[in-house]
Amino acid sequence: MKKIVMKFGGTSLATGENIRCVANLVADSAKQGCSVIVVVSALNHTTDDLCDAAEQAKKRNEAYIRKFKQKMLEKHSAAALKAIKNKGVLQEIEQIIKKTLDELEKVLTGISYVGELTPKSRDFVVSFGERLSAPLVWGALRDLKLESQWVTGKEAGIVTDANFGEASPLMNVTMHQLRERIGPLLEKQVVPVVSGYIAATQDGVVTTLGRGGSDYTATLLAAALAVDEVWIWTDVDGLMTTDPKIIPSAKMLPELSYQEAAEMAIFGAKAMHPRALEPIMKESIPARIRNVFNPENPGTLIAKAQTAKRTEVVKAIALIKDVAMINVSGAGMVGAPGSYAKIFDVLGKNNVNIMMISTAVSEANISLIIRRSLLGRALSTLEIVLLGRGSISEVTAEDDVCVIAVMGANMKGTLGVASRIFTAVARKGINIRMIAQGSSELNVSFVVKEKDGEVAVRAIHEEFKLDKAPR
Amino acid sequence: MRIILVGYGVVGQSLADILLRRSIETVRDYGFNPKVVAIVDRGGAAINSKGLDLEKMLALKKKDGTVGTDPKFGYPQMSSSAVIESVEAEVVVEVTPTNVKNGEPGLSHIKTAFKTGKHVVTTNKGPLALALPALMELADYNKVYLRFSGTVGGGTPVLELAKRGLLGDKIIAIRGILNGTTNYILTKMEEKCITFQQALEEAQKLGYAETDPTMDIDGIDAACKVVIMANWIMNKKFTLKDVEVQGIRDVTLQALGKASKRGNTIKLIGSIDGNPTVAPTEISKHDPLCVSGVLNAVTFVSKFAGEETIIGRGAGGMETASAVLRDLLDIKHNLASELLM
Ligand SMILES: NC(=O)c1ccc[n+]([C@@H]2O[C@H](COP(=O)([O-])OP(=O)(O)OC[C@H]3O[C@@H](n4cnc5c(N)ncnc54)[C@H](OP(=O)(O)O)[C@@H]3O)[C@@H](O)[C@H]2O)c1
Repeated sequence: MKKIVMKFGGTSLATGENIRCVANLVADSAKQGCSVIVVVSALNHTTDDLCDAAEQAKKRNEAYIRKFKQKMLEKHSAAALKAIKNKGVLQEIEQIIKKTLDELEKVLTGISYVGELTPKSRDFVVSFGERLSAPLVWGALRDLKLESQWVTGKEAGIVTDANFGEASPLMNVTMHQLRERIGPLLEKQVVPVVSGYIAATQDGVVTTLGRGGSDYTATLLAAALAVDEVWIWTDVDGLMTTDPKIIPSAKMLPELSYQEAAEMAIFGAKAMHPRALEPIMKESIPARIRNVFNPENPGTLIAKAQTAKRTEVVKAIALIKDVAMINVSGAGMVGAPGSYAKIFDVLGKNNVNIMMISTAVSEANISLIIRRSLLGRALSTLEIVLLGRGSISEVTAEDDVCVIAVMGANMKGTLGVASRIFTAVARKGINIRMIAQGSSELNVSFVVKEKDGEVAVRAIHEEFKLDKAPR
Repeated sequence: MRIILVGYGVVGQSLADILLRRSIETVRDYGFNPKVVAIVDRGGAAINSKGLDLEKMLALKKKDGTVGTDPKFGYPQMSSSAVIESVEAEVVVEVTPTNVKNGEPGLSHIKTAFKTGKHVVTTNKGPLALALPALMELADYNKVYLRFSGTVGGGTPVLELAKRGLLGDKIIAIRGILNGTTNYILTKMEEKCITFQQALEEAQKLGYAETDPTMDIDGIDAACKVVIMANWIMNKKFTLKDVEVQGIRDVTLQALGKASKRGNTIKLIGSIDGNPTVAPTEISKHDPLCVSGVLNAVTFVSKFAGEETIIGRGAGGMETASAVLRDLLDIKHNLASELLM
């Protein structure tokens, strides 16, 4: 019998109708004899709203708390009403929603009394999103006469360290507990509904999994229960060769390796976070990105490289805007030991993450790419530290640039890929400002002026015929 | 270095002028590349994260009386605290009017800057006179620098002489003529044999004294400077209320005449020798402290180096702004060494 973890994101749970549709998807698979484990995110926008409410509570805005509770009550009750037909079940779920929101109000009021919001209390507040969505899905499943039970990530057995906001699971304990607690449900043909994203420390204090979020919960369950596939249900058909807003003829990618998927996530595609890929990568469990609103579509399969068919080297192109380039130059940098170390050190101390680096062999110049929002701080700090030291004569910046990342397996190993990329761009008369150094095997990235970004992406997309299926 | 300029009056505009005129040299000689990212006056603010065009800002202020009217970068209604809180910058230069009653708006400006991790350079004596010990503690706690060279002696490096020039020595006492207006009045009374009232009117005519001259002639301005020196140089936790203050309203021509016969004259002397005081005091005409006109002079009595006296013009927009530039360079220097550690 096939075992599948199905994870549903916030947009697929946005309304009561959506929740009903989700329940039907689960029921269909169950009827076909699958064991399904359901993982849910919070309803659309709920997590952000909870963060805002926590901030308002910190500012002692009690009126906001009352209004917020009312708003949450309306949102979740309305969803319940549409998702659940059976009166008894509906009442039961409404009771849970009310009780949970009463607790949330108490927590927020507590925060407003103390006027302090710690990462610990923030995690607790945020956890309410999934504590509210899971019962809704549970109710909708029971409405369809499915045996089901809902649990929080904590009750399911996910144990983490106490790094609130970005907790890491204690892997072996978590695996063991998930098997002990969720395994028996599957044996009894019960569909578990697990609230994603949230977990707890060994002392039972609520934590959240940070980056990777509910996907991570799903892949932890998948690994623990040795399932056949993880389905990540979302609101798009799958991962695309590039942003369809730039190139309408962008194609869906039928298959990707774990590494390629991770690379795409780093470059901002709506993909699974590399952290969430880890548990299934180890166990070679494939994941599939699917569209709740178009379940006919098989979606994008993320699997082991051997399984993923080898075709064209270039698979996808990402355009990363909101970046800026800093150039540090000065003849004195040549041969002055530690010039670069100083730059990295200073930026690191100021929490400026360097996304790309390129240097000239002569060491008279180094170019860096950072997030555009950090440019002011980075530039000012570098000037304060570096100017007037003799070796460095100028620090300049360009904030009208973008990064283009071209991704695919074995790119570096394949002769002529880079030259095809750059020739395609040059043919459009576009000047390449910088090329990344030491990038991974899986991507080539470079910098052009922002106004040239889309044209460059299009040129590469055409060069590698990414719009021509099948590949 | 990104700077928020709060207050765009005489000192603020002079600073803009200096930054404009010195920009090439400061980068080349000191590695200091200042960028004024916001200017605030009572009419609003001008904000540009890439740095405002100071030449345009000076012209705009002349034309409209405020920088808030700039069509592209102006925010007419924006409050100073909102600007200090929300605009990213390393340093806030606080040059709003001195208020010795409650220190505002300067006090709030400085505290807000600290809270948001910004260093402060100010020429505003009000907040310092009322709360310098507290402000120094807050700066330390928030790991930022508070500099105020321009508050004592304007452009004359009075504080630096004591703090740097006499590094390692112990300063036992400080005496000084700390206020140009009163010194001008006393000088004219003696030279021309005119009464206090006549001399004051003359000073007002020449622009050396304000229409409301209370701060100067009642010794409050000098007392503020005494407080600042006591804290900064001698590590004493005084505030304005600890200073015994007497102004020059009651200095008569007769008293000046009597002193003169003894080879002395009467000056408004601020002194820290035990208790902090400001009072008209008879001193020898040969005392190096005995300067005339609007000049200021301060004598530091130190344990080993003996007595050092520094004399200078005391106030003036450009002079005071030059002290602000020194403080900015000092902060840049400190930050650079800190970051490299
Ligand atoms: N001038 C000197 O020689 C000298 C020497 C040493 C120390 N100081 C001290 O330096 C400070 C500045 O002196 P100054 O001669 O430049 O004074 P000023 O010409 O009167 O300028 C004060 C500036 O502060 C602005 N301002 C007032 N209230 C404000 C508020 N709430 N928010 C924002 N801005 C506000 C004013 O705005 P508006 O332009 O809209 O009126 C004006 O631009 C004073 O504390 C003074 O005691 C001056």
